[in-house]
Amino acid sequence: MNSKDKILVIGAGIAGMEASLLLANAGRSVLLVEKLSLTGGNTIKNEDSFPNLECSTCMIAPIQQDILQNPNIEVMTLSTVKKVEGEAGNFNVTIDKKARYVSLVDCIGCGMCYEPCPVTLKNEWEENLSEKKAIYVPCEGSLPNVPAIDPEHCLQLNGKKSCNACVEACMFGAIDLSEKDEEVQVDVGAVIVATGFDMFDAGKISNLGYGKFPGVYTSMEFERLFASNGPTSGELVLRGGGESPRSIAIIHCVGRKELGYCSGVCCMDSFKYSHFLKNKLPDAKVYNIYSDICLPNKTYQIFYNKIKGEGGGFIFQSSPEDIEIKESSGKLGVNLTDRNGAAESLDVDMVILACAIVPGKESENLAESLGIELDGKGFFLTRKEDVGTVETSKAGIFVVGCAEGPKDIQNSVIQAEAAVGKAILIGEINGK
Amino acid sequence: MESKKTSSKIGVYICECGPNIADNIDIDTIIARLPSLEEYQNKELVVKRYKLLCSNEGKEFLENEIRENEFTHLVVAACSPRDHDTTFINVCKKTQLNPYLYKMVNIREQCAWIIPDKEKATEKAIRYIRAATSRVLKQSELIEKQLDIDPGVLVIGGGISGIETALSLAGKERKVYLVEKSSELGGKMNMFKELLPRQNGNRDIIEKKIEEVKKNESITIFLETELESAVGFLGNFEISLKNIKNNQPGAEFTVGAIVAATGFRLTDTGKLAQYKYSKESEVYTSLEIENMIKRDGKIVLKSGKEPESVGLIHCVGREEKGYCSQICCNYMLKFISFLQQQSDSIKIKDFYRDMCLPHKEDQGFFEEVKNKGADFIRISDVKIKGTHVEYTPIGKDKKEVDVDMVILAPAMEPEKGTEELAELFNVPLSETNFFQEEHQQLNPVETSIEGIFIVGACHGPAGISESMLQAQAASGKISTRLIPGKKIVPEVKVSEIMEDFCMGCRTCMDICSYGAITFDGELSVCVVNEAICRGCGNCAGSCPSGAIRAKHFTSAQIYQEIIEAIR
Ligand SMILES: Cc1cc2nc3c(=O)[nH]c(=O)nc-3n(C[C@H](O)[C@H](O)[C@H](O)COP(=O)(O)OP(=O)(O)OC[C@H]3O[C@@H](n4cnc5c(N)ncnc54)[C@H](O)[C@@H]3O)c2cc1C
Ligand code: SF4
Ligand code: SF4
Ligand code: SF4
Ligand code: SF4
Ligand code: SF4
Repeated sequence: MNSKDKILVIGAGIAGMEASLLLANAGRSVLLVEKLSLTGGNTIKNEDSFPNLECSTCMIAPIQQDILQNPNIEVMTLSTVKKVEGEAGNFNVTIDKKARYVSLVDCIGCGMCYEPCPVTLKNEWEENLSEKKAIYVPCEGSLPNVPAIDPEHCLQLNGKKSCNACVEACMFGAIDLSEKDEEVQVDVGAVIVATGFDMFDAGKISNLGYGKFPGVYTSMEFERLFASNGPTSGELVLRGGGESPRSIAIIHCVGRKELGYCSGVCCMDSFKYSHFLKNKLPDAKVYNIYSDICLPNKTYQIFYNKIKGEGGGFIFQSSPEDIEIKESSGKLGVNLTDRNGAAESLDVDMVILACAIVPGKESENLAESLGIELDGKGFFLTRKEDVGTVETSKAGIFVVGCAEGPKDIQNSVIQAEAAVGKAILIGEINGK
Repeated sequence: MESKKTSSKIGVYICECGPNIADNIDIDTIIARLPSLEEYQNKELVVKRYKLLCSNEGKEFLENEIRENEFTHLVVAACSPRDHDTTFINVCKKTQLNPYLYKMVNIREQCAWIIPDKEKATEKAIRYIRAATSRVLKQSELIEKQLDIDPGVLVIGGGISGIETALSLAGKERKVYLVEKSSELGGKMNMFKELLPRQNGNRDIIEKKIEEVKKNESITIFLETELESAVGFLGNFEISLKNIKNNQPGAEFTVGAIVAATGFRLTDTGKLAQYKYSKESEVYTSLEIENMIKRDGKIVLKSGKEPESVGLIHCVGREEKGYCSQICCNYMLKFISFLQQQSDSIKIKDFYRDMCLPHKEDQGFFEEVKNKGADFIRISDVKIKGTHVEYTPIGKDKKEVDVDMVILAPAMEPEKGTEELAELFNVPLSETNFFQEEHQQLNPVETSIEGIFIVGACHGPAGISESMLQAQAASGKISTRLIPGKKIVPEVKVSEIMEDFCMGCRTCMDICSYGAITFDGELSVCVVNEAICRGCGNCAGSCPSGAIRAKHFTSAQIYQEIIEAIR
């Protein structure tokens, strides 16, 4: 196949996977580059996804599996794009491919190598709510179902001690500690950036007590706590104590004011949590503390009404900056000022902070390598002259999903499909 | 003993999966026991073990075995089909064996990994393998067919979504037919002068697009025209149009896909008791204001004077409709910004319930407008009598105010005719009466009928940017499915209706959500169109006379499998 026909997709979240699959099914060859050791992005961190509360794994895993098995798609995990030269139809891309130390071909995912590994680490993918070994998969059901070794912490690889425990445990000869990081060169015709987002650091708003009080959780932490393949297998127990919360406050818009935009998804996420909590802990009291109810889809208000019908308090608060969280004798006090300036206080066991979506940490570097621009907020910028587009200032480079700005799955997929259209139709020799 | 029939020769391959299966299942026992079972007495059976079937050597081994033994059927007992079904289907495809005569059994997750007792695990594995073998013998060869396609596309609706779809797709090898019921292209865009600041303010780009559509030789435009009928399936829809003015039949042609871009209208405020006003009062809907700005270049009262105070009311009809229209908060801000530029001393009272600002640039715009002195009042209730506004600020007592002008933001609803169009296509509407997506998240611009797409405000309330992206998305999907000069391969695991058993009750027609079943009036039976059927099997379960067979999931196949599994 001509290199012009090959398309580079950066990021294997829902947007990147959708773009890759569509292109592959149209006969295009795709290189899908993902920085983590697994595909799926943020969507697979959720137990169920709003508004239909469909099980995320059931929704996403078949796509992940398709991606890995499709002969037209090459998935490069633990890899990042370092340099892009050339122009539309003819880009030369340099990729930093980190060693996995475990063969994607030979490993069958039996997991026999974890136990013998002497190194125990915090599992960042699980929001540090659980531990992993130096040879690990981030969670049960990771795809590809093949571990990777963390070279910084593996005793053999960081030179602290000689160790060969995992190699010995593997009956399939799948582990190769002598594997080296590589720099890979590829020629592609177009690039789709689908690098997604990170979460706002809740610690920045000190009055909310995140990091200080163990009962205060971020939304992503709660997603993992609730997930049946997560650190507690879905059991809702508080950090440290091991008890289930009896009262929970969900605080909306965390980071919205600082960042200057609404993320458009956290209201729905919060309602989802509300529903989860009511379902699992029917006697628990749940409060949604909100400033605006943002429901930007034809079906979202229906979901909201359903959640309201399930009970729980909805408390208006102009912004979370005015909330002060204190701890006394194991209880969290959520101190609010209501609309009339009067003070109000709620005693709860757990606080969930619905944090804003922020640009991915590496966006700036990537934008520089690609020669495209970011907007004032740090998201990738689409062509300024257009009203609705996925094209960037550089022809042949497209941006889709939350890399472009906060949005839900539906809109991420729509952008992915739009980029596929652009990549194919611009190239289609049809005398335009 | 009966002589062995050579008509079927079954291969059963058991994967050791390293120690994963081998350690906990006694594979040799299986190999010894299977051939002696009664159901294999008159059949040829080859049972073998291999250390890792999914490895490259394993796949090669299996491929050679299928060829050399000339198997007619194959069973692979290994891990989860999730992991490796495709792997072994691909192995079959390299040989003479039709992949629909192969079956995978999961003896790792379902036996070896969950049953600590080796003997019991082995027994269960044997039962599962017997079930699969009995089933595979009932399976039939299915052969993929290739169908020619027409890459052309019909677009219904000449608003911005329709225009963007047409422009994205039209080309030398792909014709686009653009059908518009009114006498001009542009849709609601014709009423606008200015867009949001994040959309570069003015609508020049849109103007250019309309010109481009008109000039494009691959696009045929039909004005004052409606769709009369559309029958067929992805790749082959036969279309007939109707001229609205003279009610005469219009053009007929074939396309490969259809895109509905029929847009929206504003909900009728007259039907909402709390928004009572007469024609003479200074109360306007948002579209009337857009029109006014376009026509007069300013926002004025009926007297021609500029208003000194304006009350804007959000969410008109939101509760009644059951959804938020997403774009009205934004265009209300656009109006306020316009009024602020028109007059320094303008008094703005903006009555809102929630400020819906879902795009990354929106909040900045809101703050800008607010800082220029507009009064934003969050209300729980509001009522007007002409330009007299009664409102309840959230958590406070009722208040009232008189303004010179009131602007309402009525909810967007699907354009008249959406329901009829849905019926014509046989696609469902969502609870909120907009078209429904095939899958809300994973296939958001296609309907349950493959090849029929929905974009823009007929899909759900949407702004111009979102509408254009949806148009591009539908174009993207179409470009990957209808490739000029290439054929498509429809699903082969479809259902079929056995004429002799069908009593023509048509139960299945209502059940099929893909519109794959039609009624043959002459024979008085239902017929499945195999090019449309996705093989979901719903019809098979629904048929009271058992006339429907889901080809790869026949009752005989499932029955055999269950009988052996519980034996
Ligand atoms: C007051 C107001 C202000 C707005 N301001 C903005 C703004 O500043 N920025 C923004 O992004 N969005 C704005 N919007 C939203 C914007 O109008 C819509 O996003 C956009 O018009 C949707 O485009 P469309 O093509 O889907 O629908 P439409 O513009 O409604 O076009 C649909 C077309 O299809 C035709 N049609 C309908 N049915 C049929 C049929 N059966 N057969 C053939 N043809 C048919 C219609 O006649 C029409 O031409 C505003 C909306 C309102 C109400
Ligand atoms: S070699 Fe490294 S990864 Fe393997 S067991 Fe030892 S420390 Fe763990
Ligand atoms: S590396 Fe070896 S031991 Fe570890 S999961 Fe893979 S096959 Fe099993
Ligand atoms: S979606 Fe809701 S919670 Fe999130 S920033 Fe917007 S208003 Fe706040
Ligand atoms: S966009 Fe704003 S005005 Fe429109 S329905 Fe939603 S909240 Fe109400
Ligand atoms: S199997 Fe499903 S798609 Fe096919 S005809 Fe029956 S109901 Fe329709």
